Amino acid sequence: MVITFPHMGRVYISVKALFDDLNVKLVVPPPVSKNTLELGTRLAPEMACLPLKISIGNYIESIKRGADTIILTGSCGPCRFGYYGVVQKEILKDLGYDVNIVILDAPNTGFKAFIDKIRMISGYSSLSSLMRAFRAAFKVTVEVDELMDIVLRKRPREKHKGETDRLLSRFEHDVLKVHGSTETLELVAIYKDKISVIAEDEKADPVRIGLVGEIYTLIEPYVNLNVEKKLGSLGVEVHRGITLTDWIKTHLSMDMKYKRARRNALDKAKPYLGRCIGGHAWETIAATVGFNEKGMDGVIQILPFGCMPEIVAESIIPTISRDLSLPAMTVTVDELTGEAGYMTRLEAFVDLLSQKKGMVS
Amino acid sequence: MKIGIPRALLWSIYLPLWKAFFNELGHEVVLSPPTNKKILNDGVTACVDDACLPVKIMHGHVIDLMDRADLIFIPRLISICPREYICPKFIGLPEMIRNSVPGGPKLLVLDFNAHKSIRHGYDGFIAIGRQLGARESAVRRALARAMKAQDEYTARLLGGSNPLMLLEGMALHAGIGGNKGTIGLIGHPYLLYDRFVSMDACRKLAQMGYRLIFPENILPEQIERTCSIYPKKLFWSYGKHLLGSGLAMLEKGMADGIIVLSSFGCGIDSFMVELLQRQNQRDFRIPLTVITLDEHSGNAGFDTRLEAFVDMLEWRDHNGHYFSPHGEGLYIC
Repeated sequence: MVITFPHMGRVYISVKALFDDLNVKLVVPPPVSKNTLELGTRLAPEMACLPLKISIGNYIESIKRGADTIILTGSCGPCRFGYYGVVQKEILKDLGYDVNIVILDAPNTGFKAFIDKIRMISGYSSLSSLMRAFRAAFKVTVEVDELMDIVLRKRPREKHKGETDRLLSRFEHDVLKVHGSTETLELVAIYKDKISVIAEDEKADPVRIGLVGEIYTLIEPYVNLNVEKKLGSLGVEVHRGITLTDWIKTHLSMDMKYKRARRNALDKAKPYLGRCIGGHAWETIAATVGFNEKGMDGVIQILPFGCMPEIVAESIIPTISRDLSLPAMTVTVDELTGEAGYMTRLEAFVDLLSQKKGMVS
Repeated sequence: MKIGIPRALLWSIYLPLWKAFFNELGHEVVLSPPTNKKILNDGVTACVDDACLPVKIMHGHVIDLMDRADLIFIPRLISICPREYICPKFIGLPEMIRNSVPGGPKLLVLDFNAHKSIRHGYDGFIAIGRQLGARESAVRRALARAMKAQDEYTARLLGGSNPLMLLEGMALHAGIGGNKGTIGLIGHPYLLYDRFVSMDACRKLAQMGYRLIFPENILPEQIERTCSIYPKKLFWSYGKHLLGSGLAMLEKGMADGIIVLSSFGCGIDSFMVELLQRQNQRDFRIPLTVITLDEHSGNAGFDTRLEAFVDMLEWRDHNGHYFSPHGEGLYIC
């Protein structure tokens, strides 16, 4: 059994650490590229959302490298993500690929099935080593997210442009060579130190922008055309509305303190949207209001074309923007998004914000 | 009080329930007119670009009702069947309308959530009945009568009728050439039974001499059974309804061909149509076409596609038994 999984930003670092610890063979799909996207758009339904197309591309690239079991998480609606596994299985079946797709649904839809699946993909490791590996992988996720927070802070402030990104790409290169969670954590710590000491321009007073929107689009740099880097190089301090750590804490952990804090954060959305409508629309609205309280200069919403929940959020955001006089922009991405037009929109938005900021202070 | 019901989204399925409920409580019901060019344009202007056609049209109907009704009834159909949903946009519909329609329409929002159990869903009706100032016992009585009206309506649909016939009195008579066969027409109710959106596909096909069969004619048990081939429960009620009825039509040989109407950007259709097409391709191989509709669809192109499809059905009938020298059917493999 050789396992593979769809890419979603830097999730591969944690997944690799997890399966290395469990001694299960794993193929990390090659980074999402034009080829991945082209494979996906050719095979997936035309109207499907972008994440489905890209993950199909990931699978095929991994299968060619020897993977025979695909794992992905599931949900029970109403967002389309919950049915990805089934549709993708049908597509792969018709293509003649004989692979096993394991959909990890939340435990509450069938606890026994969930445990069986976990045991199967973990190569029947003992429960204690399983727990240890999961805990370690979670630690990796938290650390990597912290590393990214440092990167986001540094980018607009660095004295020599591009230094942070040089170190970051070296990290992404090195992290595939280490084995297991211990080595990964060591590597993350080294790069955290390295990036923290990058020389800063003391006069820098960056514009602060909050990113909200659908989680996959926010986390996967290829899909959002590396918006964090683009904004960073325009001298913007980027704050993320949702991170992988948040997702894991919400769905997999029992951290009651976090859950209370999350509940409070979601309450902020109440005047505009008082319930979960699937996907991350509720979080998007709550984070938009939250970013205003944190004194952000603006908010950018990013969604994949046709994302059902985010369309609802998109229609609410202009009202929030008006009520709180918080500049907000919505960007829709799909396989046809052109880099130049996208960049122009970001630049224009940042220009407006920096002019506004200049006038206020 | 005058309560406006927009002729959009699932009105063609639930109108008897809604109308009877409000009438029993002593309110007048005003319907918006059937979708027309103005309603479409108003809706498209008000709504966000990314939304699908039916949601845009819903916005148009709300705008139309704004100065004709005291309250506009907006059903928030979160779930109409336990452990299932309809579509995220249905859940966020009141928010979308409130934030997009200028002039702050006064909405009467029904929260219908049967995710736990059907009984829970009807609590939403009690809540709006109370909101309208009626006593709980009176609301329950009205609801019971309304549900009876709805049950009768559903039974007639399952018996082979369709909302166009029952609500708009439109008979689908076979035209010249008599009865040539049956076409399964699959799509969400807000596409099939909206004559403006579907460009009168039902009437056109009937005039070409075909009998039509709709998803609303297929028994729920049959839908459940055909959908059980998938390893995971389908959690969209209408997705399941469309896929299941399509599969049932294929399995039982109810139709000579299937036309799927889908709206551009429909997230659920993108998956359901994919699954249906693959199943047809594998096991049944009957003619199946997908026509995508949006606000830019033109009548002429649409007619051409319908005609081409019907031509294909007829030629297939004619030449289907012709075997080429190397032993394979020309039209039936």
